[in-house]
Amino acid sequence: MQLKKSWELKDVIMMAILGVVFAAVYMAVFQGGLAISTALTPLGLSSFGFEIIYGVWFMAATLAAYIIRKPGVALVTEVLASAIELLMGNSGGLTVVLTGIIQGAGAEVVFALFRYKKWTLGSLTLGAMLSAVFIFCYELYYLNYIALAPGLLAGQLAVRLVSAFVFSGLICKLAGDGLAKTGVVKSYAIGAKADIGKVYDEEE
Amino acid sequence: MRALNPACKFVGLLVATFVLAAVRSPWWNFAAFLLSMAAILAARVRPGKLLLLLIPVALAALGMFFTGYRFSADGSMPVRSDVFLVGSSQLWNGLLQASRVLAYAGLGYAFALTTDRIRMVRSFQRQFHVPQVFAYGLLAAWGVFPHMVQEFRRTRAAFRARGIRVFPVSPALLAPLLVKSVRWSEELAVAMESKGFAGSEPRTDFSPIRVRWFDWVFLAVCCLALPAAAVLFT
Repeated sequence: MQLKKSWELKDVIMMAILGVVFAAVYMAVFQGGLAISTALTPLGLSSFGFEIIYGVWFMAATLAAYIIRKPGVALVTEVLASAIELLMGNSGGLTVVLTGIIQGAGAEVVFALFRYKKWTLGSLTLGAMLSAVFIFCYELYYLNYIALAPGLLAGQLAVRLVSAFVFSGLICKLAGDGLAKTGVVKSYAIGAKADIGKVYDEEE
Repeated sequence: MRALNPACKFVGLLVATFVLAAVRSPWWNFAAFLLSMAAILAARVRPGKLLLLLIPVALAALGMFFTGYRFSADGSMPVRSDVFLVGSSQLWNGLLQASRVLAYAGLGYAFALTTDRIRMVRSFQRQFHVPQVFAYGLLAAWGVFPHMVQEFRRTRAAFRARGIRVFPVSPALLAPLLVKSVRWSEELAVAMESKGFAGSEPRTDFSPIRVRWFDWVFLAVCCLALPAAAVLFT
């Protein structure tokens, strides 16, 4: 269990808190997605409402891994976020925890291939995109997407990949770099080399 | 439902969800939805609250109905005479997709609305052997959640006081929340360590959560009887 030993308590708490933050974001975004898909319902394209914002669901894994940069972080954060989402009463059902495992595993595989050393926009995007592909394969079976026309499915996957890039690639990179600049993450791998300006602490 | 061990309830309902995914029948899905609604109401959840939660589910189900109706891949249609009595295969496909949304949401709510959060984490820790550090970390993070809501409201009020209108999920609101969250996580970790919590030492429970006979009955019904029925009757 070399992997667990390298985690400190503050890493675990950080993952749990990011899990809570993103569970709340997921719930809020879910309502937004529902609004879009309801508008698309008469066209029969309601599933696209969620595809547009699907990338949001990979943010917890990518951002946590980007900050902490240790093996297993992406997977565990995504699972924690999904467990909290379940507790908050989401309407996707119990399997939300399973989807958390699958999405987290997708990102984890990519970060592991980079040996947890390369943290660029490209590697974050690839992580999010593999999450998207993993979860899509699962939904083919679980949501019975396999009963939908292949052309529609290809369209869905394409929109989802773009969404993964925008939310979990671009926005996570910006958010991580922004956090590093504020100096609050200086005790984590991401903040170690960051160029910190003047830090304003509320307690002073 | 409330008395069931959370870990057993989770496994049982998860298996039930997968049985439904494999059966691919709208009737099974509708039955599962009605059963879970009955279970939730029997657990004394306020009907008004449940109704409010069901609105988004109903909208999603309607959306999936039209997606299934208009874009059906005819390869996966069940080819049995009784199925065709339902109507065209498009209608069947739409019904299947819509009932699926209802059934999954119903089972999910049957878990979430009847389970105490702290009991669930403790039960997962004990029955699934989730490492202590995660169980307590999750509980600690959960305790921070009300602060996050408050911080979010405060930031929004601050913008409003300056006459700036911000979108509810705009970066201007989320960035301070993220910074605060990171600070809280560090403070929490320091606080836990200073109270002697390291995560590896053995601990005792004030009220241990056990698996009782009716938990086994529930597991047997969901994990043995239900799949057997699915094989026999479909």
